[in-house]
Amino acid sequence: MPDADRPIPYVNLQAQFEEEGDELLAVVTAALKRADFVGGAAVGELEKALADFHSVADAVALNSGTDALILAMRALGVGRGDEVITPANSFIASTAAIMHVGATPVLVDVQPDQNIDPDAVERAVTSRTKAIMPVHLTGRVADMGRIAALAERRGLLVIEDAAQAIGSGLDGRLAGAMGDFGCFSAHPLKNLNACGDAGFLITNRSDLAERIRRLRNHGMADRNTVAEFGLVSRMDTLQAAILAMRLKRLPGVIERRRRNAALYDSLLDRNLIFIPPDREGEFNTFHTYVIQVDRRDALQAHLAARGIGTAIHYPVPIHLQPAAASLGYRPGDFPVAEAQAGRILTLPINQFLTPDDIERVAGEVNAFLRNRDFP
Amino acid sequence: MKVRYSYLPQQFAEIDDLLERIKNFVATGDFTLGEPVAEFENRFARLIGAKHAIGVNSGTDAIKLSLKAAGVGHGDEVVTAANTFIATVGAIAELGAVPVFVDCDDTFCMNVNQVEAAITPRAKAILPVHFTGYMTDMRALLPIAERHGLSVIEDACQGILANIEGRNSGTWGMTGAFSLHPLKNLNVWGDAGVIVTDDDDVARRLRLLRNHGMRNRDEIELLGYNSRLDSLQAVVGNWLIGDAQKISDKRIENAEYYDEHLARIPQIRIPPRPPGMRLVYHLYIVFAEDRDGLLRYVQERGIEAKIHYPIPLYLQDALKHLGHDWGDFPVTDRHTREIITFPTDQHISREEQDYVIETVRSYYAGR
Repeated sequence: MPDADRPIPYVNLQAQFEEEGDELLAVVTAALKRADFVGGAAVGELEKALADFHSVADAVALNSGTDALILAMRALGVGRGDEVITPANSFIASTAAIMHVGATPVLVDVQPDQNIDPDAVERAVTSRTKAIMPVHLTGRVADMGRIAALAERRGLLVIEDAAQAIGSGLDGRLAGAMGDFGCFSAHPLKNLNACGDAGFLITNRSDLAERIRRLRNHGMADRNTVAEFGLVSRMDTLQAAILAMRLKRLPGVIERRRRNAALYDSLLDRNLIFIPPDREGEFNTFHTYVIQVDRRDALQAHLAARGIGTAIHYPVPIHLQPAAASLGYRPGDFPVAEAQAGRILTLPINQFLTPDDIERVAGEVNAFLRNRDFP
Repeated sequence: MKVRYSYLPQQFAEIDDLLERIKNFVATGDFTLGEPVAEFENRFARLIGAKHAIGVNSGTDAIKLSLKAAGVGHGDEVVTAANTFIATVGAIAELGAVPVFVDCDDTFCMNVNQVEAAITPRAKAILPVHFTGYMTDMRALLPIAERHGLSVIEDACQGILANIEGRNSGTWGMTGAFSLHPLKNLNVWGDAGVIVTDDDDVARRLRLLRNHGMRNRDEIELLGYNSRLDSLQAVVGNWLIGDAQKISDKRIENAEYYDEHLARIPQIRIPPRPPGMRLVYHLYIVFAEDRDGLLRYVQERGIEAKIHYPIPLYLQDALKHLGHDWGDFPVTDRHTREIITFPTDQHISREEQDYVIETVRSYYAGR
C-alpha cells in the first residue's frame, strides 16, 4: 500500500504492545505466579513510585480515575448540601462523582484553552461552596495560580481532576500536586495506561491517604473491623505491576507526544485553525491535541475518508446532556464551552506516529480548510 | 502439616495455556468492554440460566448498581440479613439508603419468617444474602416481596450455582449479584463481579450505570459509575468458566466428607442441610463448643481456620448510628460465639481434611 494511504489510527494500543511486548509479558507472568491478586506487593510499590514521581507524601492506587474523585471528596467530607465548582466541558465523570457523594455540581465556563475560567469560578462561589474541582483538560494544567489563591482566600478545598494530565506542569509544579488531592486515571487510553481500568490519587495529607486506603476496601480498618462504609475500589495487583513498568517509560511517551505536538504547531495553518498557545511556564503532555476550526464535522469526515482517525472531546457539554437535566441548566449558559463543542477536533497524537504521519495529517487539514470547494 | 486457606497458587499452577491466551489478548489492545467481556457475559448468563449477564467491577458494585436500577435512593429502606459481609450494607449505604436487618437462622441466611415484620412504608427493596453458599428460602420470600410491591435483589456473591429445586441463585429476584473475587468459587485475577437479570429494561439500565451512563460515546443518559469488568479479567473468566460446575461439585464432595466425619465429634454441630437445596460451600462452617479454644488450637497446628464474622455487622463502628446492640439479633449473636470456618475448596486433599478432622478430635479429647 502506498504510504500516503496508510491508515493513521487515533489510538494504537497494538503498537504499544509491539514496542514493549516482551517486557509486559514478563511483568504479567511474574505477577500471576505470585498470585497476590488483591492488594499485592506491586500495589504498594507502584504507590511509592507515584509518590516519588510527583514529590508528594503519598499516593493511593484505586480502580479508576472516577473513583479517585469520589474518594477524594469522601475523605475531605464533601457531601450533601455542599457545592463543588467544576467546568462544563469535562468528561462526565467529574460531575458524576460530585453527584454521587451527594454534593451539588456548580458548572462554570472555560477559557479559549478549554480549561476552567478563574473569573467564572470566582463569580460562582457562594456560602455553600466547599471545593473547586479544576480539570486539566487535554493534558494542560488549568490556571492553578489563580485558583489556589482564590481557594485560599475563600477557605475552599481544591481537588484536581488530573485524569488527562500525568506529568504535566505549571511553573515547575506537577499536575495533581498543587491541590488537596490530585486524581488520575490510568485507563487504557491515557498517557500512563493499564490494560484495563485503574486510577490513583496523590496528596500531601498522609492522614487522609490512610483513610482512603480504608475507604477503597469496604471501609475496613482490619479484617474484622469496619470503621466506616467504603467502596470496593482496589487497583488490581496485575494492573499495578503493569503501571509500575510503564511509569518508567512515561517520560519517553511524553517526549514523543510533545515532539508530535510541536510538529503540528509548526505545520498547521494558524490563519484557519485556532490552537491554544502555550502559556509561559506550561509543560503540556498532550493527552489530546485539540484544534478549533470552522466546518469541523466536514473536516472530520474528510479525514476519516482518508484513513485518519480523529475524535471530539467532547461534542455535547455536560450541562446539555440528558443526565444533567436535574441541574437545570440551559443552552447559552456557558457560551465559550458551547461554541467550542461545535469547533473542537482532536487529531491523532499518539507516541507511535512518525513525523511523516503528522505531516500527512496536517497537510490534509490545511488542504481541506484552505479549499472552499470542499463541503 | 499446614492446611492453607487460600488455594490460588494451586489453582493457577498450570497456566501456560492461560498465559498464551493473555498474551494474545494483550496484543489486541481491546481493554475496555471488549470482546472477551461479551463472551464471558454470554457464557455466564447461560451457566446461571438468565437472559442477561452484565459484567461489573466487583460483587459490591453488582449489588449497588442493582439497587440503583431498582430505584433505591436517599432515605429508602432495604431489608437485608443481619449477618452478612460488610459489602452488602456498604452498597446500601453508598446510595444513601438505610439497611433494615433481619436475623438469620442456622443456615446463615435471613429468617424469612421475620421479614414481614421488618417492612415499613419506606421499604423499597429486599436484599437476601445467600451467605456461605446456602440459599435464602426464595420460595417463601418472593410472595412476601410481591405482596408489598418490593424489588428483590439477590446477593449471590458467595452462592454461584447454588440452587433450590434446580432453580439457580440469582434467577429468583429482579437481579442476582455475583462476585468473581479471587477467593470466590468462580474467580478471576482481581476484582470483578456480574449481575444477571431476565428483564431487558433493567439490563439496559445496568449497562448504562456501569459505564458512566453513556448511551453511546457522545450521549450521557444518566449519571453512572465507572464499574466495568476488565477485559483481561474476562479472559481469565472465560478460561475458568467451563470448570464452574466441576468446582462446585468438588467443593460439595469435600464438604460432605467433613460433614460425615465431624458429625461424629459430640462437641461439633453441623448446620442443617435442607432437602432440595444445593449448597455450594463458599465457606464451610460448623458450630463448635469452646470455639475460641478450638480456633487457637487448630491455628497453632497450621490450620488456617477463620471466623466469618467475629463482630456482627450491626455492632461495627460504621453502623453505630442505627443504635443496635447485642440481643437485637439473637441467632446472629450466638453464631459469633459458635461458628468456625475450616479451609475447604476444590483443591484441598483428603489427607489435609483428615488432618483437620483429627486435630479437632484431639482438641476435645485432650481437654
